[in-house]
Amino acid sequence: MSQAPVAVTGVGVLTPLGDSVASLMEALSAGRSSVGSLTSPAVVAGSPMHDFEATRYANVRGMRIYNRATRLGICATRLALKDAGLEDAGYPAERLGVVMAGTFAHFDTLIEYDRSLVTQGPSRTNPALMPLAIPSAPGAVIALSFGAKACSITLADGGAGGLDAVGLGARLVRSGRVGACVVVSALAFFDELILSAARAGLLTAADDFRVFDRRSRGTAFGEAGAALVLESIADAKARGVKPKGLLLAQASTFCRSGEDLERALGRAASKSITASDTDLHTLGLCSSGANGTARVDGAEGRALLRVLDGSPNQPAVAAVKASLGESLDTAGLLQTIVAMAALSGSPAPAVLGLAEPIVPGLAYLSEATAIRGKRALVTATSQTGACSALVVGQGAER
Amino acid sequence: MARRVVITGCGVVSAGGNELDAFWNSLVSGKTLIGVVTNFTCPEMDALTGAEAVLTADEFGMGLAEKDPVAGRCALLGLGAARRALAHAGLSAGDPALADAGVVFGSTMAEERQVSNLSERWVAQGADGVDGGFLTRADNHKLAACVADAFGMGGPVLLNATACSSGNASIAWGYDAVADGVADVMLAGGADTFTHSLFCGFSRMSALSKTVCKPFDKARDGVSFGEGAGMLVLEELAHAKARGARILAEVLGYGLSNDAYHVTAPEPNGAGFVRAIQQALTSSGTPAERVDYICAHGTGTQYNDQGEVRAMKAVFGERATRIPISSIKSTIGHTNGAAGAIAAIACVLSLDHQMVPPTANLAEPDPEFGMDFVMDRGRSATLSTCLNMSAGFGGANACLLLARVS
Repeated sequence: MSQAPVAVTGVGVLTPLGDSVASLMEALSAGRSSVGSLTSPAVVAGSPMHDFEATRYANVRGMRIYNRATRLGICATRLALKDAGLEDAGYPAERLGVVMAGTFAHFDTLIEYDRSLVTQGPSRTNPALMPLAIPSAPGAVIALSFGAKACSITLADGGAGGLDAVGLGARLVRSGRVGACVVVSALAFFDELILSAARAGLLTAADDFRVFDRRSRGTAFGEAGAALVLESIADAKARGVKPKGLLLAQASTFCRSGEDLERALGRAASKSITASDTDLHTLGLCSSGANGTARVDGAEGRALLRVLDGSPNQPAVAAVKASLGESLDTAGLLQTIVAMAALSGSPAPAVLGLAEPIVPGLAYLSEATAIRGKRALVTATSQTGACSALVVGQGAER
Repeated sequence: MARRVVITGCGVVSAGGNELDAFWNSLVSGKTLIGVVTNFTCPEMDALTGAEAVLTADEFGMGLAEKDPVAGRCALLGLGAARRALAHAGLSAGDPALADAGVVFGSTMAEERQVSNLSERWVAQGADGVDGGFLTRADNHKLAACVADAFGMGGPVLLNATACSSGNASIAWGYDAVADGVADVMLAGGADTFTHSLFCGFSRMSALSKTVCKPFDKARDGVSFGEGAGMLVLEELAHAKARGARILAEVLGYGLSNDAYHVTAPEPNGAGFVRAIQQALTSSGTPAERVDYICAHGTGTQYNDQGEVRAMKAVFGERATRIPISSIKSTIGHTNGAAGAIAAIACVLSLDHQMVPPTANLAEPDPEFGMDFVMDRGRSATLSTCLNMSAGFGGANACLLLARVS
């Protein structure tokens, strides 16, 4: 079933490589990577945001008591609203909504609160902490900070969460329930995240981190915040705002028992291509969720091969996690932002460090390259088997 | 034109029983099932009061022997309700109708018990207490994934963590997926169990009832928690008819809003609820006059009940005082992310039995309200359309409209 396009009118991005789309794309085009070696709490590859200072971007009430992921989300939201021209524009609060993709965004607060219950006892805990320790808290706080009264929703779909949230936000806009919908996500490091992933063998050393490469030994987490403002094309036009890109269709699937992850992801990708009435020859870029682990990279690569089989011209394949690390829910938004920028004329980034593809036969970008097609496919998976795919288009003809 | 979405199966696990007949009988009895909690304790807290679910051997016999029944209790509650809902709809694992079906699983606290376990280990062992499996165990999406995995579902599988409106919001997303043609069948609902932060946090905020919760009562003094799960099978009307499924009710539509007022307190005038109700009515083309039962959020806190009643009056005007209203939270406790879904099942059963369940423990309604609260026992009524209201921390509101299908 076809889905009506939805406009992206604002983008907010906070990464170690840049705090705007322009600066991020410039860094990516230059072949820079923010993935290095963490020294604590484990010696593994990672991409931390060393210089993030929330008050540089936003100054909302209560900011000091919010955790780092929430602060990243607030700041990304403010940047996106400003980019959309909605900040201080008297936009009706009842029409502004927030959809947060945040599987682990509340986690360090929950851990802090839960640990204080054990060590100090309930009577000595900070009563203000508990409401911030539930999974919906970061999204609720972001909605509260910007007075969003249309909705406040939190999805926790792991690595597929960002694209699922985009799909949900687009649906809310399409149905008219929300006028402008902020889709936001953030990942911040905390010790238990790094330690558990390292001990599970998910994280590797910086020298062994490569994406789509069969020599890679694992992934590297990356801190980031990202937000998109979605509006109907008619609303964007009425406000005189030129869309940064169009969300054409999104689809979610689950890797059911006995099914390979690649097939489930392939189903999601095919559904999004069909629902967006996309001819494969118009597809210029695949902005993949490959992250350096054999499971994900193999599934992403084979799913793309399956979906693109028979395509007259192979779209370029990018994997921004090679430069920024794996930011889970947030990654889907970053991949979407990079895809929209590439469709708007910025060179699509190279898959850094790729020499021996785990799945041969795809047009992996070896250097930053301007793409030709008018549409891009964005793909993502979660550890739990959720798959999500999105087709984006140009905001305006180049 | 959107496709019509009907409910063909309901599954519940709660203090009120795990079978629909037992659950319904508990609701209409007017008796509270809130008592001393025996399956869960909190450090430094006296005997906890709440409404416990009883998990039967069936829940542990679903190939989940490896699951930790204590830390993994939320998942077990959800699986139990899911299995019952699918069976009620005449569906089972591996059914071709489920191959492209999806799950929307709502939860407020989700896998917090996994974090509690970690906290205890951290205090004892420091960083060495963090094991490689922690992230996998504590990943909330696992709740939705384990349901989909158990029944061979390959459609959209989402974990909706929108606080205590999660149950209703999950049904809303499931409704959209079916109405938009994304799937013909969706399983939607929620589950939550007792956790340390729930009891300790609400105690510190003085939001726990000192006795048992008494929604809309003059002497109401806070929440009593329950644990449980509610799952509903949502299906496209023609699909349900084609396979001969019994149609239990229709989902007419839903409304969403956010207070953006305070992290915990609801908007006192109920303006957020007003918008959610109005959106549900408007988007479904349902005249307000058609609503003949309101299943209230009714937590028994001063501010929630007050705001909710004000919202009802704002939307329904003078007629609000004549619409039967009840809250089931004083019977089975506030089940957080499951509450909206379990209340939706109560609505489905109300439509089927043509009876409104009472609000247990409601002895003397707050004189400010002046509404038609159903008290003591179930009341027979001619019902065609129910409004199911829910709200959560942070101000997220979700309302559903459910109707009888003749």
